[in-house]
This record gives sequence, structure tokens and C-alpha cells, in this order.
Amino acid sequence: MKTLKNHWFSYLILLTATFTALFPLFWTVSTSIKFKVETYVLPPKFISFTPTAKNYTSLFAMESFTRIYMNSILITVVSTLICLIAGAFAAYALARRASFSGRRPLEALMIAVRALPGIVIILPLFNLGSFIGIYDNIWAITLIYAGFTVPFAVWLMTSFFEQIPIEIEEAARIDGAGTFVLFRRVLFPIAAPGIVATGVFVALLSWNEFLIPVIMAGENSKTLPVLVAGFISNRTLDWGPMAAAATVAIIPIAIFTIVIQKWLVSGLSGGAVKE
Amino acid sequence: MSDVLARKQKKRSAIGDARPIAHYSIAVWLILLATIVVPLLYGIFLSFQNYKLASAVPPSFVGLDNYVHAFNASETWSTLRITIILMVMGMAVQIPLGVGLALILHQNLKGTRFFRSVLIMPMLLTPVAVGLIFRFMFDTDLGVINWAIGEMGLPKVNWLGAQTTALIAIVIVESWQSIPFVMLLVLAALAGLSKSYFEAALIDGATRIQTFFKITLPLIAPTLFVIVMIKIMDFLKLFDTIFILTRGGPGNDSTTLGLWTYKTGFVFLEMSRASALGVIILVLTMPVYFLWRRASQQARS
Repeated sequence: MKTLKNHWFSYLILLTATFTALFPLFWTVSTSIKFKVETYVLPPKFISFTPTAKNYTSLFAMESFTRIYMNSILITVVSTLICLIAGAFAAYALARRASFSGRRPLEALMIAVRALPGIVIILPLFNLGSFIGIYDNIWAITLIYAGFTVPFAVWLMTSFFEQIPIEIEEAARIDGAGTFVLFRRVLFPIAAPGIVATGVFVALLSWNEFLIPVIMAGENSKTLPVLVAGFISNRTLDWGPMAAAATVAIIPIAIFTIVIQKWLVSGLSGGAVKE
Repeated sequence: MSDVLARKQKKRSAIGDARPIAHYSIAVWLILLATIVVPLLYGIFLSFQNYKLASAVPPSFVGLDNYVHAFNASETWSTLRITIILMVMGMAVQIPLGVGLALILHQNLKGTRFFRSVLIMPMLLTPVAVGLIFRFMFDTDLGVINWAIGEMGLPKVNWLGAQTTALIAIVIVESWQSIPFVMLLVLAALAGLSKSYFEAALIDGATRIQTFFKITLPLIAPTLFVIVMIKIMDFLKLFDTIFILTRGGPGNDSTTLGLWTYKTGFVFLEMSRASALGVIILVLTMPVYFLWRRASQQARS
């Protein structure tokens, strides 16, 4: 009670911020379970309305919906795996050697990917892609996703590898472990939580990615954000299905957030500064 | 003691020199070459041609024509101006609010963990979905924001229909998503500060406001610098939110340089001109890139 009295102002701000952060989510979910007529009334119906699953059933009934959802999952999972496997080795090198040939250009290139607007890379990629036939090719698109996110993965994993004491590695070496065994039996198990956390963040970036698929994907490899964005150009002004699509895109993330609590803070700020 | 340390260090470097390690990064190199370096070089190549999509005429080299055109076109300057306006407005909103929230959370009041995890959520959500949600909320006739404004007795605002309000709407949405990021970085910086500074200030009888401006702010200044660099890059990159919220409209009134590049390429099909704009963005990003690189290296050491 004493803290409440002394810090009422802090709590007031925190509650306002919480309301601001959560209201749009609440509003989306509630719109997604309203009948069309009830999205068109003022004052808005915040709680007292008849819920319906109609918007979801019509969304799921779209013949392309399942394919689009599966595309999103496939691209996210495969590009994340590519990032983790390729990235782990590079991160190990960056964490353990102050210098090796190619270290500085690699670092510079990775920072450039973070700094550059995607359009600068995607636009020529599209033109190149129509020459070599990778437009709307789901595997090529997956690789592009990996290229955009691998720097982030390498950074995060570098800091996780740096935390592993070198003595453990030396002990394994003395016991005769080769590089492969060292990675599989010693380093990966110890760095596992960090690698999992990295995977979660890379997956999040890929799941949310819009620019790559909106330009590189046709009907065949369309992803969820492109589907969601498509609701705008239809100009039907039917907010229910729109809100349902938005909900379907963000609900997995909201659940995710709760599950990965533990790593959230270090991971989210990881690309910029180290804690 | 220092003897042991020296020996340890020697051992580490001995192992380091014994085994080559450069090949560990081959896979990452290959991915980045294929998806970043080659397209970037091809973009520079395209910018010296007159390539148009869906044109029967084979492209030829035109030297600096596309760059001359970019410098003479009013859209280049107006969209650059809009990019900078958004950048400045965005930082003016996000940095004070992010720092403020971080300071409040840093007090470690009861429930901090809960508030922190809830406040982080907006930054994780799909930007396209967020844009859609806010577009609904900003709707002139049915939007919940105008309803609230009306309840306060104020007139309706056609948010996305005029330049000033459209830019404000974009800044609101972008801030809603990225204040948590600023907050997290500042929170990390605050956690790293030594308590002794603040104890000394307390003994000297400094007020809270004095303590903030004289002690906290100078100490977190390097982090704020990193944040400014990241924000500049993010506003140069900003695409999804504007694309969904306004499509750069009305007209080109909320079109940023990046979105203009997109429109030049994919709406007007002027691929070479768009590539030249891309190269211009690349050049604009350079100074920020170098400053950020230096700043983050300093933050690391």
C-alpha cells in the first residue's frame, strides 16, 4: 500500500501505457468476432455484442488460405534453420578469434544489411530474379529471407558463444575431441538455450516480413502478411474478415511472447548493444 | 595474479593460431553474397541503364542520366523531405517516452516484470497487421479514435486524408511499435550504471530532476546516440506501416524516399530510375552506417 501511495504517478503512467499497448489488440480481436452490422455502429460496441465465428470460417474457407498459412510456416521454419546452422559456425569464429581472414568485411557486410532499406536490395533482386527464373520460387524466397536475417542471428549467437568459458573447449580438445565432436557434444548443448532464443527471434522477423514476399512472391508462394495487406486494396470496407486475418497473423506472436519471456529482453536489444 | 592471466591469454592465442577458422563463415558468406552483394552490385549496374519493365526496347547504357533525372525531379526532394520530417517527429516522440518509461520501470516497483512484458508486445507484432488495425481505428466515420475525439466535443479528423494528419498518424503507429525498443535499450543502459553516482547525488541533496539531467542523462548519452542512429536507419527503411496506412497518399503527400523508390519501380515500371534512387539511399545511409558502427563498437568495449 505504501508503494502505491508513493508511486501513484508511476503507476498511472504504467497503466496508461499498458492500456495504449493493449487496446488495439483487444479492438482487433473483438472486431474479428462481430457481425458486420455491429462493426458499423457508433458508439462502438466494446463488450456488449453477440460474438460470431463467421469471419474466421469465411477466412479459413478461402481456397488459398491454407496454402498461404503453410507457405508462411514453411518459409519461416526453413529460413530460420538455415540461419541457425550457417550462423552458428560464423558466430563461433567471431566469438573465439579476434582476427581471421575475412572477419572485418564480414562484420561490415552484416551491419550493412541492418542499415540498408530492404527496397535497395529487393528491387534489383526482382529484376535479376525475372532473368534467372526465381520469381515466385519458394526456395529462392526462403534463401532471401535467410540473407536478410542471418546477420541478426550471427550477432546474437556470437554473444552466446562468448559466454562459454574457453576452458571447457580446451578440456575437450585435450581429451581428443575433433571439431565436429566438439560442436555436437560440447558447444551446441551448452549454447542450446541461446541458439533456441536466436531461432525464436529470427522466426519472428521472418514471420513478419512483408517487403520480400510482396515483391518476390506470386500466387504460388504468397505469405500471410501479403494476404493481410491484400484486404486493403479490395476496398470492401468489411472490417470483420480483415480483423480476423490480422488476428490470425498476430495471435501466434502473442502466445510466443508469453512462452519465451525469459529471453525476451536480452534478445530484443541484442542486435544493438550488449547488456 | 597477472602472471596467471598472461598465461591464460597466451594459451588462448596459441590455440587460436594453431587452427584456421576462416572457413567457418563460408556458409554465411555464400548466403550474403547471393542475396545481398550480387543484387546490390546489379542494382548499381541497372542504375546506369535505361531499363523499363514491360518495355520491348532492349536496355542500353545511359551514363548518369538516371541520377541527373533524380536530382532534377521534385519528387526526390519532396519525398526526402517527408522522410526527414517523419524521422524528426518520430524521434521527438519516441525517445522522451521511451526514456520516461525506462526510468519508471527502472525503479523496480511491484509488478515491473508484468508491465515490462506487456509493454514489449507491440514491437513483436506483424507491422502489416498493425497498420491494418490502426487504419481501422483511424477511420473518419467509424474509427474508434474519431469517436473518442467526438466524445470530447471536438470535430472529426480526416486522419489519412490530409498531409499533416497523415504524417501524424504514421508517427503514432510507428511510435506505438517502436517505443518499446527505445525503452528496452535505455533500460539495459540504466541497469549497467553504478549506484554510487546516485548515492552521491542523494547525499548532495540533488532533486530528482537535477539528478536526471546532471547524472543520468550524460551517463546514458552513448546509448541515446546509438538509438538516434538506429532510428535514422529505421525511418529510411520504413515501408510496411506507410504502405498499409496511406499507400504514401494522399497523392504523394506521405511518400518517403524508400516508398518512392518502390513506386518508381513497381508502379511506373522505371526500374533503372528506381535503381538510381536505391543507390542514392545507399549513399545517404553510409554516414549513419559508419557512425553507428563506431558507436556500437564503443558500446561493446
